[in-house]
Amino acid sequence: MYSSIQTSALLGVEALPVRVEVDISSGLPSFTMVGSLCQEVRESKDRIQAAMKNCGLDLPASRITVNLSPADIHKDGTAYDLPILIGILSCLSFFPTERTEGTLFLGELGLGGEVKSVRGVLPIVRKARDLGIHTCIVPRANEREAAVVPGIRIRSADHIRQVLEYLQTGEEEALPVAAPVSVQEACEESSVPDFSEVCGQENAKRAAMISAAGFHSLLLTGPPGAGKSMIAKRIPGILPPLTLEESLEVTSVHSVAGLLPPGVPLIRKRTFQAPHHSLSLPALIGGGVSPRPGAISLAHRSVLFLDELPEFQKNTLDSLRQPLEDHLIHIARARYNITYPADFLLICAMNPCPCGYYPDRNKCRCSETQIRHYLGRVSGPILDRIDLCVELKGVDLKDMRKPAEGLSSAEMRAAVEKARAMQRERYAGTQVRFNSDLSPKEIERFCALSPQEHAYLESVYDKIGLSARSYHRVLRVARTIADLEGSASIERNHLLEAIYYRPDLSYWKG
Amino acid sequence: MFTLYENEISREERLCALWLCSVPWIGSATVYRLLAEYGSCTAIYHETESRREVLPAKTYHTLLTQKEKVRPEALEEQMERTGMRFLLPGDPDYPERLLNIPDPTFGLFLLGNLPPADRPSVAVIGARGCSAYGTEVAKELGSALGAAGISVISGMAVGVDGLAQMAAVDAGGYSCAVLGSGADVCYPRSNRRLYEALRERGGILSTYGPGTPAVAGHFPPRNRIVSGLCDFLVVVEARQQSGTLITVDMALEQGREIYAVPGRITDRLSDGCNGLLGQGAQVYLSPEILIRELLEYTEGRIDDEKSRRRKSFSGRESANPYPKGTDLHVIFSALDFTPQTPEELAQRLEKSGTPLPTETIRLSLMSLLLEGTATQVSQNTFRKS
Repeated sequence: MYSSIQTSALLGVEALPVRVEVDISSGLPSFTMVGSLCQEVRESKDRIQAAMKNCGLDLPASRITVNLSPADIHKDGTAYDLPILIGILSCLSFFPTERTEGTLFLGELGLGGEVKSVRGVLPIVRKARDLGIHTCIVPRANEREAAVVPGIRIRSADHIRQVLEYLQTGEEEALPVAAPVSVQEACEESSVPDFSEVCGQENAKRAAMISAAGFHSLLLTGPPGAGKSMIAKRIPGILPPLTLEESLEVTSVHSVAGLLPPGVPLIRKRTFQAPHHSLSLPALIGGGVSPRPGAISLAHRSVLFLDELPEFQKNTLDSLRQPLEDHLIHIARARYNITYPADFLLICAMNPCPCGYYPDRNKCRCSETQIRHYLGRVSGPILDRIDLCVELKGVDLKDMRKPAEGLSSAEMRAAVEKARAMQRERYAGTQVRFNSDLSPKEIERFCALSPQEHAYLESVYDKIGLSARSYHRVLRVARTIADLEGSASIERNHLLEAIYYRPDLSYWKG
Repeated sequence: MFTLYENEISREERLCALWLCSVPWIGSATVYRLLAEYGSCTAIYHETESRREVLPAKTYHTLLTQKEKVRPEALEEQMERTGMRFLLPGDPDYPERLLNIPDPTFGLFLLGNLPPADRPSVAVIGARGCSAYGTEVAKELGSALGAAGISVISGMAVGVDGLAQMAAVDAGGYSCAVLGSGADVCYPRSNRRLYEALRERGGILSTYGPGTPAVAGHFPPRNRIVSGLCDFLVVVEARQQSGTLITVDMALEQGREIYAVPGRITDRLSDGCNGLLGQGAQVYLSPEILIRELLEYTEGRIDDEKSRRRKSFSGRESANPYPKGTDLHVIFSALDFTPQTPEELAQRLEKSGTPLPTETIRLSLMSLLLEGTATQVSQNTFRKS
């Protein structure tokens, strides 16, 4: 007796079809599972045996062999419990075999036969639809997440009895098809704080707007309490809303990480990842024994905020270099080789010295050596990848009492969307999406200056010690500023403002 | 006048003096006390054990340990390798200014050259963690003194000391550092460039033997030499109860003229200087005035015009290079030597009745910066150049 059931494995955020093959033959009673299984998959045997017993199903005293095919792909997670159980019952002819055809099963089992939620349902269901599978049977807890995908029937269960009844009787009512979740319905209540609550700090708000418009990484420096984190937290709110495609990408990453909030079928707003500075390298870029996406992938299409930048371990920070350039991360380990998306907006914040008050010498008594040592913890290569830098000043109480009169998040978002539209139009048909993506060659093409502006920039090149890299950075940022103003060409004022926000490395070298 | 060695010093005596000066924690005062007992350094070296009863137990043990560890000849070889010289108060080269202070230092280790005896010298000292203002004043003064051929004496510390000395050397002048470590030890290490420059074109003095590390207790004796070597002592920035003020006390004891750089009463880093001014220190107004007064002082002229000249001093007002009525003119006139942010400038302009939007100020500041009329102190603060 032999049966084969469709299920799926995860490789990064990609789903890979897997078939559960079960063979039951006479011989000495045994239960063997093969196919590059990780610990939690091997444990599945015990959960299945207990669940069957507790649901009044007998496991025959025969030789049972379960293979997860393709056998050379490493399999982890608990989603194989349900398909293996269905495979065994199918072998034992509990129901007609054709009822499982074209159907994908996912689910973890409890010892009482409950079907529990699993990770990565969204990418698996999307892949299943593309492969022509017509029905997915998923845990009830994952129903809404799966129902986001159109063009495929989703049935969900919270106990194996429901699944068995459906397969035995073939009655629709036993396991009704879930109502599709429309994208509008999936919208969560927006709770991103508003920029109008930020008192003063107009220069930092302006920098945040430029950063959001051109996807430029931003560094905020300033004394404690100046509002660095406050500004960073409001940046997701001025990014344009996620498109459906982006939203599916973001949700897939969260689903694979098992971090999709319960009851949220689809992540529709930009997320804000603010990991603590003690985080380890795999926690930042992803990896681990069984691979999980790291903070940079959870911040995909959103904001990664690194507060207290010098407190991060140096090698952890340096690992950001490649994803900042490639917008994805390859993780190669002995047992797997996977890719996670990592297209994030990097926002960093730091104090200018150990006590935080430099250059205010009335408060700061750090020695030059201490300051240099503190700043030196942020490596040059990371600073090189930061486009904008802004210094915040401590806020006076009297400024805080003044009614906020600055821009609100809605106004800022409108400006950002306008600038984004200009970039989309300009870069149509190229690989470039934002001004921050421009390579030196593309800068020549898209950031052309008029002869006199070009001469002007050349003349200031030496005066303020611009490097070749910072020269290009100034042009990229100037392009975004021009886009915010709706200007087709880069004018003098745009250049000046870009120079104003350039990260001044001399400040770091003391 | 100190008259210990009236005749030429014998090689043996010099070697033993060198050895004695390298003994840790034996300072000038102890050396003089020992000399009073033994009569010469040679005697101290050779007769330590035989005349044990005249020594305090601690000194005896220190000397004995050092005798076991270090041979005078080995020290001499070590010094020859680095080109270090050893000076005693009887040597013709021994700086005359140091002979005229109370309790002159016994032995001096020197790398490079001594301050020229025929040129006046100024000690520039101040806080290690100085403000942008202190940095500016120290650099300007050091540079002016260097260009005028006046020796700059200081302690090579980070902050005011090192900045003034570096500026003097960069301006082609002579500068001398007095260290609290051995003269062959660069402390602080961050001043390596200055140290190398001083070795070649200036001088490095120390009372400590070769290889001695910098220890907190070494610094007060060194300050005595800094003030002893100078004619005028300028304090650029100092907090209340700053170590810098110890040097000032020593300079007063040695009869040196004290100048203090005035600061704002709201700046804690200027408290020390403003306090000195209150106690009667001379006010430092500009390098030019200081240099003129220094030359008059060293040439022995008392100038009646001094007070008149000071009265006519109008501060540092650079001419506004921008046409009246332009934004640049307005912003340039609102800048001063204290770092300000664009937001602070905006408030200031609003009060003075010529309000400008912060954006305009920011862009205009960049223009000023690129034209060299303003300086960026940190990412978001600017001052006049």
